[in-house]
Amino acid sequence: MLMQISEPGQTPEPHQRKLAVGIDLGTTNSLVATVRNGSAQTLADIDGAHLLPSVVLYGEEASIEVGEKALAGASSDPVNTLMSIKRLMGRSFADVTDVTGVKMSPYELLDLGQDMVKIRTRAGDVSPVQVSAEILKSLGQRAEETLGGELTGVVITVPAYFDDAQRQATKDAARIAGLNVLRLLNEPTAAAVAYGLDQQDEVAVAVFDLGGGTFDVSVLQLTKGVFEVLSTGGDSALGGDDFDHALAQWFVAEHKLDSLDVFQQRSLLTAARQAKEQLSSADEVELALADISSTLSRQQFNDLVDPLIDKAIRACKRAVRDAKLCSDDIHNVVMVGGSTRVPRVRERVAEWFGREPLIDLDPDKVVALGAALQADQLVGNRSGDEMLLLDVIPLSLGIETMGGLTEKIIHRNTTIPVAMAQEFTTFKDGQTAMAIHVVQGERELIDDCRSLARFELQGIPPMVAGAARIKVMFQVDADGLLRVSAREESTGSESRIEVKPAYGLSDTDIADMLQQSWASAADDKEARALREQQIEAEGLLQALSAALLKDGEAMLSEDEQRELLAKMEVLHREREQGSVASIAKHIEIVGKASEVFAERRMDASINQALAGRRVDEI
Amino acid sequence: MSEFNPRENYFALLAVPQRYEVNQADLSRRYRELQREAHPDRFAGANERERLRAVQYSSQINEAYETLVSPTRRAAYLLKLAGVDSDMSSTTFRDPEFLMQQMQLREELSELQSASDPEAALDAFYRDLAAAADQQKSLFSASYLEQQFDESLASYAKLQFLEKLRSEAELKESELLDY
Repeated sequence: MLMQISEPGQTPEPHQRKLAVGIDLGTTNSLVATVRNGSAQTLADIDGAHLLPSVVLYGEEASIEVGEKALAGASSDPVNTLMSIKRLMGRSFADVTDVTGVKMSPYELLDLGQDMVKIRTRAGDVSPVQVSAEILKSLGQRAEETLGGELTGVVITVPAYFDDAQRQATKDAARIAGLNVLRLLNEPTAAAVAYGLDQQDEVAVAVFDLGGGTFDVSVLQLTKGVFEVLSTGGDSALGGDDFDHALAQWFVAEHKLDSLDVFQQRSLLTAARQAKEQLSSADEVELALADISSTLSRQQFNDLVDPLIDKAIRACKRAVRDAKLCSDDIHNVVMVGGSTRVPRVRERVAEWFGREPLIDLDPDKVVALGAALQADQLVGNRSGDEMLLLDVIPLSLGIETMGGLTEKIIHRNTTIPVAMAQEFTTFKDGQTAMAIHVVQGERELIDDCRSLARFELQGIPPMVAGAARIKVMFQVDADGLLRVSAREESTGSESRIEVKPAYGLSDTDIADMLQQSWASAADDKEARALREQQIEAEGLLQALSAALLKDGEAMLSEDEQRELLAKMEVLHREREQGSVASIAKHIEIVGKASEVFAERRMDASINQALAGRRVDEI
Repeated sequence: MSEFNPRENYFALLAVPQRYEVNQADLSRRYRELQREAHPDRFAGANERERLRAVQYSSQINEAYETLVSPTRRAAYLLKLAGVDSDMSSTTFRDPEFLMQQMQLREELSELQSASDPEAALDAFYRDLAAAADQQKSLFSASYLEQQFDESLASYAKLQFLEKLRSEAELKESELLDY
């Protein structure tokens, strides 16, 4: 990735305005949005459609169709038409077989044990990550064609409740699509950003996101540009689809229909969905299956869906309490997701929160719009009124302890980024290795939580039992992604481990998928790798030279400067003549050598900024 | 106001006086100010190492803030600064009044399921817990100021106990209300 030569936090010249987009990678539909002329807007395809159906068709002769064209294949070629792929991201076969919708999907899922499930298509076995990459690629192309240039970076939204494996899978998909991910942003946070409610003084806002299959609620505190997520919760198996099911069940009971075949079930559900949508404006509708029909009033409908909405309200109650607030403290309620168009949902939300929810922005677009605003700021196009988004980790992180129990290391609703250390010791004399099992979830038993990674710490110096002090660090970054490292404290020997989720892809997998996605281009992998390293070296050298010119004398001793320059000189030579490996090695060397300098510069820049602010405030 | 130094004591880092009573508004303001400058999003265009550093700084600021914002963690941190070992395994309660209160609360918790309106009963229980905690917080605050650390430690232990009860109640709530 190329580095900015300008100071961190400073805005480049106006003519350097960079292209950045926000992408809402949805279960049913996806969207791309950008900031133009100061306001966020979604981008349409060539036919004027903003929503891209999240569908990929692996067709004849290695063709790949995405969106509407792929959707056409749903009836003619159901086995190769992949839908609702988001539900499979970062999931194993065992995880998804009981998820509604997936079980009924006509395509063939491959059970790969602990690994992420794959789908058998005529183009071979594909990972959900690859399928999502196709959707992202399509949106990326749409943006580049519309905006007329290369994208500097993208912000991709994910449900707040996505765990580490699902987030990692989303990021991997973007990498395969050739997109530079600036940030994974939680959907509710994006929605709050889109409404721009942050300019008021200290208000609490709830985001109520009821989609087709999931319900998500978050409580945020907004203070002059700072969006602080206080709590997040919801129900990953509650959505508008359940409303349809409730209507269908009522119909079946009314007419004592006991054996509907799959096709009848399908058409009854479709009729139920239409009835639900019509009841948003009509007072009563006709619900019919072949020659059987019933009239359904809005009141009857409300009674049918109330128990479902009760669940959502209870989750709101809990989220508000987790935020240490009460319902009166919530100043605004933002509505997201198509199912919030149901009047009864709005009524109940208004009733519980004691205020009318906000519905000015299209509930299908609001997330993409917020992501676009954040992307615009992260590439440095926005200055002055900067916003800051502080998200939380949705599920606790822990490790397995004796007897199959979990010990929580980082609790849910902790603000990220976060780092926690835990000390372990050996329980046998001379023990040199130790296994650590990292899980995510709220339950006490290890089997009820999601297994993220298992790794073995090796090379512990042999000591008597209990003498070794092994410090394991858990670091969750702003995207909600976990990194684990370990160090034996009594001798100082360190082993750094990057934790990849158990269901994630290895770097080799990703390299293969990248290779596949480049296969059509006549690009040689090696040449591309070399070019990437050269660009990276160039970027590092430029950034360092600029920084040295500005702060070198003030922040480094003469010796320190000389040493750093010598290493930069070597990297400069390697960049011209070296191999991929040797350039990478010297990038690492220069990076390490400049660490102290980087740290001093950051301390100084933060202090300077704080000092400036203080003067402003007086 | 103090300079930003991520290696400093949490009270200094967040620029509030080192005592149990904290001004929530001051704490939050300084926290947001620091995050505005140190958060990794501010370094989206910077190099890998600077971004990693930003993740570390930002984590430290979060850790400091969450420690001082939480009444229980703040108490533990103050005890640690005073050199008092706050490891609970050795602490026993010899306070008959608190034992009494503890038994009552336990009883209330176990009777939640059979209450005619469990939701209302839960709300009442949370209120009782909060009242009991407020009492211990004032005791902690006063004894810490007078450097009566044994008493502070006892209050801290009680706060911890009340917090544990609270998470048990939350677990019960999940079961009762079918989340």
